[in-house]
Amino acid sequence: MNNEHCDQLVDYLNGTLSAEENRQFEEHLKTCDECREIADATGQLPYLSDPAEPPAGMKSRILSNVFAEESESADPADSGTIDGEPENRSSHSASSASSASSAAAGAAVGNRASSASHAESETSDRKPRNDERTNVVPMTGRGRKRNWVTPLIAAVLLVSLLGNVFAYMQLQEEPEQAAPEPAPTPPETAFQSVDLQPSEGFGGDATAAVIEEENGALNLVVTAEQLAALEGDQVYQVWLIEGDNPIPAGAFTTNADGEGATYFNIDNSTEEWDTIAITLEPQAGNELPQGEVVLSAGI
Amino acid sequence: MEKSSDTLLYSRIREKDKDALEYLYDRYEKILFSFLLKMTQDRDLAEEALQEVFIKIWRGVGEYDDSKGKFTSWLFRMAQNSAIDLIRKRKKATVPLDEVAEMPSGESSVEQTAEWQEEKEHIQAAVSQLSAEQQEMIQLFYFKGHTHEKIAELCGIPLGTVKSRIRLALSKLKKTLHGMQERGAIDE
Ligand SMILES: [Zn+2]
Repeated sequence: MNNEHCDQLVDYLNGTLSAEENRQFEEHLKTCDECREIADATGQLPYLSDPAEPPAGMKSRILSNVFAEESESADPADSGTIDGEPENRSSHSASSASSASSAAAGAAVGNRASSASHAESETSDRKPRNDERTNVVPMTGRGRKRNWVTPLIAAVLLVSLLGNVFAYMQLQEEPEQAAPEPAPTPPETAFQSVDLQPSEGFGGDATAAVIEEENGALNLVVTAEQLAALEGDQVYQVWLIEGDNPIPAGAFTTNADGEGATYFNIDNSTEEWDTIAITLEPQAGNELPQGEVVLSAGI
Repeated sequence: MEKSSDTLLYSRIREKDKDALEYLYDRYEKILFSFLLKMTQDRDLAEEALQEVFIKIWRGVGEYDDSKGKFTSWLFRMAQNSAIDLIRKRKKATVPLDEVAEMPSGESSVEQTAEWQEEKEHIQAAVSQLSAEQQEMIQLFYFKGHTHEKIAELCGIPLGTVKSRIRLALSKLKKTLHGMQERGAIDE
C-alpha cells in the first residue's frame, strides 16, 4: 500500500489497465507480497459459484476453435499484446468466428434458438458481422424474450393455463413460423401489448399483454427478464394503476437467470388504467406498493 | 488441482502440446464455466468467455509464471477479465445486468467435487467475516464486473473512495484466508 503501483491493484484485477500498465503491474507483483497475496485471495472467489453443467458439445466446439485459431493465425505481431486491449480481442474473436466452422456455429446457434426463432436465425445470422461470435446469437431484446419464455412459462404456470400461453406466444412470433403444428383451438386475441421501461437505477426488461380467452375472460400476462435477484421474502409485484390508485395484478419471483412471469385474471376492462408498473416488494400480498418501481409503462 | 502439475501442464502447452491443453481444459472446465455463468448469467456468453480463455492460453497471451502468484488465480483472473469484456460489450448493446448485490447463500448442488466444496467452504467462511458492505463491494466489483463509476452510483459513495474500499475489502479477505490457514483450517 506504500507504492503507487499498489494503487493499481484493483484496476489490474478488474482488467482496466492498458497492456503496458498491465505489464508493469506484473513486474510489481514480483516484488510486492501484499498485492500478490491479495490477487491470489481473489483467485479463490470463483469457488463460490454454484456448479453448473457445461452445455453439450462445448468442449469440442471450444477446442476446435482454439486449434483452428492457431493454424490460421500467421500474424506474429498479434501475439503477446492482446491482454488489456479490447479492440484486439474482438478482432481476433471475429477471425475465430469466421474460421470457426459452420458446424460449430450451427450447433451452438441451434442450441439456443431451437425453441423459438427459426425465422430470426435465417434472417439475421447469415451475414458476417464484426461483433458476431461463433457461439452467440446476437442479443436483441425480442429474440431473447422469445427464447426463454416458453420453458419459463411452462414451469411457472398451471397446466390448465398453458393453452392460453401458447396462444400468447404465437402472437409474439411470426405466425407462420411459430408452431410446427397449429394449435387445436383458435387463438385468443392480444389486444394490447406494451414494453415496460426500467426506472432509473434499475435494470430489466418486461412485456405486458392482455389476452382474451375463448370464454371472454381477460388475462394480463407479464414476462420479465434480466431482473435483479430477490432476497428473503421479496417478490416482484405487478400493479395496474388508475390515477393514484394501484391494484395488485399478480406477483412473481425470478429464476436464477433473473427471469419471471405472472398470469393474472382481470375481469374489468383495461380502459380505465393508465399505467402498469412492477415494484420490488419486501413480501408478497401487499395491497398497496411499499417498494420502489422497477419497471413501468403507460397503457 | 495441484499447483505443480498445473505449471507442468502449462509448460507443455507452451510447447504446443494439444493433449496438455485438453487436459487442462478437462481439469478446469466445470469450475470455469460455473464461474463464468455466475458472472455473465448467460450460458452462451459463458461459453464464449471460456473459449477466449483457452485461445489466450494456447496463443501464449499474458504468459503465466510463478511470479504472478498461483496458477489458478491467474487462470481465474483471465476468465474474469474475458467475462467483463463481454458483459461490458453487451451492456452497451442492451439492458444492464441485475444490479443488486447478492452473495451466494451456500446452497449448492450435490454433485460438486469434494475439492471444490472444500475451497468453497473456505472462501465462504472468509467472505462471511466481511461486513455486508465489503461483501457487496466484492460482488459488484468481482462478479458483476462493474466499473468504479457504476459502483459509486449504485452504492451512493464518492467515486474517489470506491477503489480504496474495494482494496480494503480484498485485503481483509486475504487476511482472513491467511488467518484460517494459520489456524490449520487448511493444509497447504
Ligand atoms: Zn503492491
